[in-house]
Amino acid sequence: MAKAAFCLVLALVSLPAFAQRLQGELDCKPTRTDFIYNCTVKLARNGEPLSGAQITVGADMPSMPMAHNVKPVKAKAGKAPGEYEATLDLEMLGEWAVKLRLAAPVKDQLILLYEFDEQGARQVRRGDRPPRK
Amino acid sequence: MDDYTVGILTNIGLISFIALSAYLLIIAGEMSFGQQGFFGVGAYTAGVATAMYGIPLPVAAVLAMGAGATAAFLVGLPTLRLRGLYFAMATLAAAEMFRIVFELLHFQRDIDGEPVGPDGTQGFRGIRWVFENGVEPEGFLALVWGMLAAVIVLFLLVERSRLGATLRMLGEDPELARLLGIHVERFKLGVAAVAGALAALGGALYAHHNTYIEPRNFDIMLGVHSLAYALIGGLGTVFGPLLGVLVDIGVLEGSRVFQGYRMIVFGGLVALLLILRPRGLLDERTVHWLKRRFA
Repeated sequence: MAKAAFCLVLALVSLPAFAQRLQGELDCKPTRTDFIYNCTVKLARNGEPLSGAQITVGADMPSMPMAHNVKPVKAKAGKAPGEYEATLDLEMLGEWAVKLRLAAPVKDQLILLYEFDEQGARQVRRGDRPPRK
Repeated sequence: MDDYTVGILTNIGLISFIALSAYLLIIAGEMSFGQQGFFGVGAYTAGVATAMYGIPLPVAAVLAMGAGATAAFLVGLPTLRLRGLYFAMATLAAAEMFRIVFELLHFQRDIDGEPVGPDGTQGFRGIRWVFENGVEPEGFLALVWGMLAAVIVLFLLVERSRLGATLRMLGEDPELARLLGIHVERFKLGVAAVAGALAALGGALYAHHNTYIEPRNFDIMLGVHSLAYALIGGLGTVFGPLLGVLVDIGVLEGSRVFQGYRMIVFGGLVALLLILRPRGLLDERTVHWLKRRFA
């Protein structure tokens, strides 16, 4: 509780710590178990692959915010630089906002919108303009 | 606490704001299906304030509450003339109007070489105040529950005051309230504005917890849930809506017993409770009994 209060006070008085933007991409393959996907996360910062990151992957449904709490999993380093692997256990098919929470080298959160179906996951595109990553 | 527990507790806290907002209107005698609209107004207002103009979150939250209260007041002006089902339908229509406005809203600024701000159906990314200011998940959880505790204390103070009695009387018998000299319409408009501010505060915190919002976050599903939480938990006390949220997100979701079938179980639970306990688990009679037994 004391730690939480300290963080809160620190937050109210501190200045922005960083401004570099991250980019992320997801490649998910379905497993033999319904709604469980093996995913590869590709992370980059300023166009360069971001290696050595500590990532927790979670998900939320945009149409039912806060109602589905997918258990966040820690991603392991993948085969290539900037790649990470995680298994996502979703509750149902459909559009999910995949949350990549970074603890290091920077603290940040990326939201990637993907439509999950029997074939895997594809990036959601709405309207006439491509979404920014 | 692990990330999962922190996440669930934060979500319980966030959704409690909109549940309390719906509860406030129900005890004043009105059932709104549109509180998600004000939740969205709060989320967008606070997001624009912190991400686009660098305003600190506490100030942004106050701005969001002001925007939510104003929006609710303006919606209340024509809709509070309606009664029952017609009021519910009108509030739902208003919330859908807000959602469509969010879909049409393109308002961005270039910050550090990146466009930041609402981008219609593509959503609003980069609401990073929490991360840029080093707030840990536990710190944000403490912020959410601290604000919620303050709101609950305010509710308890009001419920024990003359104002609380007036509020309940307004819900039970507005004609009697009118005969006793209460300006029913003006009073309800004030209640609607406060409920709007409350929902907007929840929205402001939600936007900063999630870092991304989009119009679909604020559709009817959220409004139905907020009403259901108040009806499941009970209308006898401010703890009723919190119990409703705890039952759904804490027990049903947290246990993951029902997984994808949770919504069916949740719907069945609402139907069952409306038949067996129309004013929820902690209804007025139960609260009175508990007070006599333990007070």
